[in-house]
Parts: sequence; C-alpha cells; structure tokens
Amino acid sequence: MNLDFSQIVPYIPFMLEGIWVTLKFVSVSILVGFILGTLLALCKITKLPFLKGFADAYTSIFRGTPLILQLMIIYFAVPQLTGYDISAFLSAVLAFGLNSAAYVSEIIRAGIMAVDRGQTEAAEALGVPYKDMMMHIILPQAIKNILPALMNEFITLTKESAIVSVIGYLDLMRRAQIVGADIYRNFEPLLFAGLIYWVMVFVLTQIGKVVERRLRYSD
Amino acid sequence: MINVNNLTKKFGKTTVLNNISTSINRGEVVAIIGPSGSGKSTFLRCLNQLEQPSSGEIWINGKEIAQEKNKELIRKNIGMVFQHFHLFPHMTVLKNITYAPQTVKKISESEAKENALELLKKVGLSEKAETFPNRLSGGQKQRVAIARALAMEPEIMLFDEPTSALDPEMVKEVLDVMKDLANTGMTMVIVTHEMGFAREVADRILFLDEGQLMEDEKPDSFFTHPNTERAQAFLEKIL
Repeated sequence: MNLDFSQIVPYIPFMLEGIWVTLKFVSVSILVGFILGTLLALCKITKLPFLKGFADAYTSIFRGTPLILQLMIIYFAVPQLTGYDISAFLSAVLAFGLNSAAYVSEIIRAGIMAVDRGQTEAAEALGVPYKDMMMHIILPQAIKNILPALMNEFITLTKESAIVSVIGYLDLMRRAQIVGADIYRNFEPLLFAGLIYWVMVFVLTQIGKVVERRLRYSD
Repeated sequence: MINVNNLTKKFGKTTVLNNISTSINRGEVVAIIGPSGSGKSTFLRCLNQLEQPSSGEIWINGKEIAQEKNKELIRKNIGMVFQHFHLFPHMTVLKNITYAPQTVKKISESEAKENALELLKKVGLSEKAETFPNRLSGGQKQRVAIARALAMEPEIMLFDEPTSALDPEMVKEVLDVMKDLANTGMTMVIVTHEMGFAREVADRILFLDEGQLMEDEKPDSFFTHPNTERAQAFLEKIL
C-alpha cells in the first residue's frame, strides 16, 4: 500500500486554517438563507398575489438551476455586467445564501402550515398584531416541528460548500487540492479533509440535538 | 351594546347565516342553540371578525365593525373561548395569560403577572402558573383559556361550544367558572349544547336553524313551549 501520512504533516496548519475559512462563509450563508427563507415563506402564505408570485418564481429559479452555475454566474459573470469586482467570499455567501433560502422557504412554509389554524385564530381573537403573532406564536411552533429538516439543509450546505473551490476560494477543499498537487499525493490530503468535514457535520448535528431538546421542553 | 342588522354570511353558494337581526344589551347572557350546521359558530365568529359577513351590519358600542380597518381595536374588547382551547403550547400557563396584555395593551410585565395570578386564582388554578398546557386536563385548559381571554379585560365574552370537547366529569368545572363570570355582570354570548346550563344562566335563548334565527325567547318560555316546530323537534330530540 502506497500510503504515507507523514508527508502531509507540514501542511496540517495550512489545511486546518481552511476550517475557519469554510466555517466563516458557511455560517454567514446559513444565516442569510434562514432569514431570507423565512421572509420568502411568509410571502408564500400571504393572500397578496404579487408577493406570492415573486416568492414562487424565486424558488423556481434557485431550485431549478445548479448551485455551481449560480456560484459561477455571481463570481465570473457579475463583474462583466457591472464592472464591480466581487470578492470570492461575497460571491460564496450570496450564492449559498440565496440558494439555501429557496429550500429553507419551503421547509418553513410546511412548518407554518402544520401549525393548527386555531393558534392563529386565538392570537387574532386576542387582538395580537400579525408581526407579533408570527414572531412569538406561529414561528416558534413551526421551527420546533421542522428542526430536523432544517438541520438536514444546514448539513447539506456545509458539505456542498466544497464547490467554492471552483472560484478559487481557499476553503478546506481547495486547500486539500493544493496540498495534493504540492506533494504529488492526493489520497492523504483528501482523506484528511473528509475527516474534517465529517467532524464539522458531527458537531453541527450535536448542536441541533441540543436545540431540539430545548424546544421540546414544553412537551 | 351589540346590534346585528340583516347579517348574512355565505361560503361560496351555501348560505350559512340568513338575514339575522338581533341586539344584545350590556350585561346580558345570551345562549345560542340549534342543530349542528345551523350557523351558531359562524354567527359568533362574525361578532369578532374572525369571519367577514357577506352583507349586513354589526354595531358594537355604536361602531360598525366591518368599517373599522383596525380589527385589533375591536378584538381586544371582545374575548373569545374556543371549543378546542387553542392555548399556546410553547408558553407556560402564566405566559399564555400575560402575553396579550403585554403585547397588545403594552402593560408592564409585573402588572400583567399580578393580574394573571389573580385570574388564575379565580378559575382555581393558582398552582398551575408555571406548568405547560400539555400537562393540563381538558377542563383545566379551558379554564386557563377563559383566564387568558379575561386578561384583556374585555367588555364582551364569546364562548364557542366551550364544553363540547371535554370529558363529562370536567364540564361542570368550566360551567361553574362561566356562571361566576355571568354573575359579575359580564356580557356573554355562548354557543352551547348544555341545555341545563343555558336554561339556568342565560337571560335569552337564540335558536338558530339552517342559518335562520327561528326564536329569540326567555329560557323558561323557550324550553317549556317553543313557538316553532323546528325548535319543538330539536328539543324533543335532545331533552
């Protein structure tokens, strides 16, 4: 067996730095996707045809085209159009955040629709304004039910983040490739990167479990 | 206090309420009875705008409520108790009661808490303040729901079959709370199948059938000699 892990030892700090780089844009993307997804979900359940149409079209576009295409359009094509030299970080956050929002909006819409209609009526009957009703009564119950589905989406996003390597962003994946090219050995750096991705997802899963337990407190 | 003029409500082609006119005075307790599907609940829900009437007017305290753009203004003055309670499951009993006064009326947390504890005492559930609704029995849930509605200090209370989802042995505890409330002079409109309760507590009975207001009588005369055949047939079946 031609395996020699000792050769990647000098590169370990370089690769570990990739964790931070990946985490930085993934966490911002998750946040963007979650907030935007929530707003889109609210648009989808209104009776206003304009907002509903916009949210549906948005989902259709971002779910109907490859993420890698969206990423490359934002990074390579936008500067051609606007002359604005967009950074790799901003491109990544935009592509992953906007894309994730499309999926998150459907998850949250399902969650809202699963909350008993009586909850809305009870809040309305008490004179609670729409915004407060959503923030304090409907969404907390919706989120509790959809937490496993949301965790799935966040995990997928964390792993799929590896495709930012195509725009040269120095994330964990890109660093593994660079090390591989440097030492003419690919198995060791790729396996090491895989291990780190797995650990990141494992930690994320544990966080999800803690949050879920917290939310189930009222059961 | 409440004036209803020619209220009609249609769902698509079905007419659920047909040209109903009545008025309810301050401090009156009115029971609405009738077969299921007769429009009782829809009538009640029109009073606080959970349903929009198709035509007709509802005046409350000299205001036509369909004209009022700000529905919250009307609703915070009208408490409602539902058949299936609809307590907020993710909030403690105390928070269920203090939430609306704090959010809608903007009263301080300490004041809201004080009022809530007072109300919980009234409905006999002081020891349940920190419990979550899932831990309560049906009767206890409904009493909390009544306290939650009362916390907004409404002038009118609507009850939509408040005991229909309860086990028989829990009906009385809820009716007792409602009886106490009636004795304080609260204006109450109650959709109910509890005929004994309606007879004892209500000042007036409205009998609805197929969306029409068939009778508007004092309980004694309604239960002893109803005017219409529909009411006679209905009472024969259930008494």
